[in-house]
Amino acid sequence: MNPSLLAGLVGAALVGLGLYGLIAHPHPLRKLLAFNLVGSGVFLVFGVVARRGAAAGYAFDPVPQAMVITGIVVAFAASALAVALILRLAVAGGDVSLDPQASGRRDDGEAE
Amino acid sequence: MIAALLVATLAAPAIFLAACFVGKWRERALAWQFLAPAPGLAAGIFGLSHAPVAVDFPGLGLSLTLDPPGALLLAFAALLWMAVTAALWRDRAPGARFGISWLLTMFGGLGVFVAGDLVSFYLVYALVSLPAYGLFAFSEDPEKRRAGAIYLAFALLGEALLLLAFALLAAGEPHGSARIADVMAALPASPWRDAALALIVAGFGMKIGLIPFNGWMPLNYAAAPIPAAAVLSGAGVKAGVIGLIRFLPLGVPMEGWGEALAALGFLTAFYGVAIGLAQRTPKTILAYSSISQMGVIAAALGLGLARGDTGAAGDMAFYGANHLLVKSALFLTIGAVASAGRLSRRSLVLAAALALSLAGLPLTGGALAKLASKAQFASGMPALLATLASIASAMLMTHFLIHLTEMSGEAAEDARRETPAVLIRFWPALALGALLLPWFFADAPGEALSLGKIWDGFWPVAVGVAAALGWRRSGLAAPKIPAGDSIVLYERGFARMMALGPVFETADARLRQWPAAAASLLLIVLALLAAASI
Amino acid sequence: MIAQPATTPGGFLLVLAVLLPAAGTLFSFALGSRAAEKIALGLTPVGFFLACLVAMKVAAAGAPIAYAIGGLPPPLGIALRADGVSAVMMVTASIIVAAAAFYARAKFATPDGVEESRGALTFWIMIQAIWAALNLIFVGGDLFNLYVALELLTFAAVPLVCIDGRPETLAAALRYLLFALFGSVSYLLGVALLYGLYGTLDISLLAQRVGAAPMVWTAAALMTAGLLAKTALFPLHLWLPPAHANAPAAASAVLSGLVVKGSFFLALRLWFYVLPALPTAAPGAVLGALGALAVIFGSVLALRQARLKLLVAYSTVAQIGYLFFVFPLAAGAHVWSPLGWSGGVMQILAHAFAKAAMFLAAGLVAEALGHDRIAGFRGAARALPLTFLTLGLGGLSLMGLPPTGGFEAKWLMLRAAAASGQWIWSLPILGGGLLAGGYVYRILAPALADGEAAIQARPERSREAIALGLAVIALALAFAPQGFFDFLEIGRPFASGSAP
Repeated sequence: MNPSLLAGLVGAALVGLGLYGLIAHPHPLRKLLAFNLVGSGVFLVFGVVARRGAAAGYAFDPVPQAMVITGIVVAFAASALAVALILRLAVAGGDVSLDPQASGRRDDGEAE
Repeated sequence: MIAALLVATLAAPAIFLAACFVGKWRERALAWQFLAPAPGLAAGIFGLSHAPVAVDFPGLGLSLTLDPPGALLLAFAALLWMAVTAALWRDRAPGARFGISWLLTMFGGLGVFVAGDLVSFYLVYALVSLPAYGLFAFSEDPEKRRAGAIYLAFALLGEALLLLAFALLAAGEPHGSARIADVMAALPASPWRDAALALIVAGFGMKIGLIPFNGWMPLNYAAAPIPAAAVLSGAGVKAGVIGLIRFLPLGVPMEGWGEALAALGFLTAFYGVAIGLAQRTPKTILAYSSISQMGVIAAALGLGLARGDTGAAGDMAFYGANHLLVKSALFLTIGAVASAGRLSRRSLVLAAALALSLAGLPLTGGALAKLASKAQFASGMPALLATLASIASAMLMTHFLIHLTEMSGEAAEDARRETPAVLIRFWPALALGALLLPWFFADAPGEALSLGKIWDGFWPVAVGVAAALGWRRSGLAAPKIPAGDSIVLYERGFARMMALGPVFETADARLRQWPAAAASLLLIVLALLAAASI
Repeated sequence: MIAQPATTPGGFLLVLAVLLPAAGTLFSFALGSRAAEKIALGLTPVGFFLACLVAMKVAAAGAPIAYAIGGLPPPLGIALRADGVSAVMMVTASIIVAAAAFYARAKFATPDGVEESRGALTFWIMIQAIWAALNLIFVGGDLFNLYVALELLTFAAVPLVCIDGRPETLAAALRYLLFALFGSVSYLLGVALLYGLYGTLDISLLAQRVGAAPMVWTAAALMTAGLLAKTALFPLHLWLPPAHANAPAAASAVLSGLVVKGSFFLALRLWFYVLPALPTAAPGAVLGALGALAVIFGSVLALRQARLKLLVAYSTVAQIGYLFFVFPLAAGAHVWSPLGWSGGVMQILAHAFAKAAMFLAAGLVAEALGHDRIAGFRGAARALPLTFLTLGLGGLSLMGLPPTGGFEAKWLMLRAAAASGQWIWSLPILGGGLLAGGYVYRILAPALADGEAAIQARPERSREAIALGLAVIALALAFAPQGFFDFLEIGRPFASGSAP
């Protein structure tokens, strides 16, 4: 098994796990972790892409590396923002859940 | 000259409308808006005696046109708008909401006769339809609100059908022109001809109350105050007539479509009378008479279409113009009778002449209108049906006269309150004008004075009147049919449809749950993949 | 697409258009809420001017203008490119951002005597960040660069939803963020696959290289689904109604008018600029069908809302659906494609202006009446004539009645549907118009009826005028001349040069 294949398989597994989390778990923290799993899987796919050297002429393409680094920064920022929101929500006493029943009620609240 | 008049026809109401947006000018603009139709009147009179003209503004994509059928209807409509508007604002100053609705309706009601391209026509047609809601529906009375909601529903549905029709017309024109003349020239060869025609008949049929789209009209006229009912039944409905005139390919024989429209028209003509005879309020009876008369127009246009006769356009414009004057005068008659309490013998004769004019009573404008329709109802089955329609109309109008003279209580009080005093004072002059004015615009008025024609016109009216009086004497009661007849069924259907709302709400609530939305995301990926690999 | 020189004259304008609001964001952060307000307000005319300059340059050149960042041309470097649609979107964004900013002054001014106001600081920073991200989306020429822009847009939009810190707005913001994040990874995965196949993410280079390979379709499907999640196309709209209905009015206007259009714009880029050479009829039909469902569901749900802002938010769900008819109606290089394309872009513009106007007006109604329950609107139009005029004009555009941009959009789409023989799309287009008529009627009929509405606070005339101004622009779009539609064709692959 060559490294590319391994990275690809692990990436696919991570994405799969993350998708399960996307669908199954109502708690936002779990969703956030699921997002990070999918993200990591995607970064691994980028690794495979770099390894294959898609851009003509390079044995190892450096561009996907740059993209992965950027992507990690973006994902980190997203996670930070989400965690901040979850914390605020917990402090504000709201129901920290994406449970649809609760959110369905919220939609009918007064404006502003 | 004619170009300037055409532009002014639309520009004048537009200027008054613009003035309404400045607070301190609004009241004055509304009070003086009776002047807004003046250029239209001039253009109409001018256009009657001139060859058709078209004025294009390519930069704006705007095109205006004036041909004799449009000019005749424009002139009469402008006259009606001026008279009623002036009287209404002289006697009382309706509020801004009513005034702006009035002005917008007037804008559209004049514009439909001169709009020369699809988009402008659609705009002015929407104006003559939708703002009229503001003329009657803002009321505490639930019946008026119901009439308003139903009116709007039909108007919007008609707009939607016409929008699709116009899109098909535009798609059928190979050079990308949106001028009505160009798209109509291309229609007979267009692949979307039949769909476009069906939509046109349905769309404009809603405006003129062809069955099964007739139910909104009685509710509307009963709910509208008399001046509004007068302009809507007179000028407003003619937007549908000019629509059919403009958008039926009259020059090319289309037997199937023509005969279908004629059948629908005759059916409407008799249906309107039959239901009208079961009604008791004068306004409602007049509404059913309008439905019936519009059916006659549709039938004549249908026969013209079947034979490829372009003359049907001018003939039916004249028929429509006569109906415009007479029907609005009849609505004002309700107010005049209510105020007078009892009619003098002379007034009764005048009211009767006016009413029976719709059945083609000799010496009235109606006789000329009937003569104008002769080309379409020349012989055979159509001629027979047309004569029967005359008899039926005479019956219905007699029924109207009976209920007019018996009007009392709240209905009479409302009618008195709604009608401006000036219109009541000058009612005899208005009625005479409505009877005589068509004589100045007829092609061959002399023909209608021949003894043969007078007899031809007289006996169906006499038969109809006699039948109506006989029926009344017999004491046979008409079945109780609610005003708006079929509308009751539509309302039930609509309520059923509204009951589906919670189903949508539940589905939406389900789909908006996380697991469902997340699964949808994955399904969309798969659906796109599957579609791409087909 | 013809290869273009790396940097064209005027290309630096694109950099300026992105950097200006971005710099404003940073300076605002450093200087505090009082300065942030001044910076944001001061930048709006400059940004508008820049957008107009870009439009003029594109019009003058008759071709897209471009800038290669760092002088390094693609595939290694990153290009910014503005074509006709980009320029129009930039002008639109600058107008709506400006309107929302000036409207928001009353709510987000830092009061005297207060050192710092967190809500105000957030608003002024985020509105500039949204603007910068949008401009980058409109001119970005590289799919990964666009990913970053898309994320910036989401990160800037989320705090606007929960600016007041109430638990329900925080929950709405969290739902929005989390769902959008899954959308972004989906997009990113597609980007990785495309790069793996072709070794470039530059849009015009990709357009020359792509073929109908299964992996290309996989990438396109993943990217599209991700973008749909961010656009809130039905049935991915779970986050939109609570987020848009609970945000402050000025924020809702930007979110509904512009932010959802950002991700939609990328979907346009993907299908019409990256994949135009491929047979996209079947996936286009899938997108159109989702759009049709969105129109029907969104409109029916809008009909059933008790609150004005939720009604307007659900109407956004419906109007987003209309945007997706562009995929079946503008595909390929047919005679009718320009009609569909013009109609689609017109729908973006008309909805952006009309919806922003309606949200601003809805905010004024809520402030004046102290609530936004439609049942309590009796007689409100007499008390707030300008505001309800705005709602009415915006509503006209949503219904697609003339003379409005909404009408123009439907008219063009219907003609494209007829000319292409895809009459099926005319049904949701017209049905949605009827349903829109229903919900606009629900707002206006009670408001125009007799009655005395209890007004708690009269809104400022200037704010009413701002909302009305946007509605008037939505109206004026109906008078767009032929030249405008020709302009929209500039830079579009397969543009035939002769628009409708």
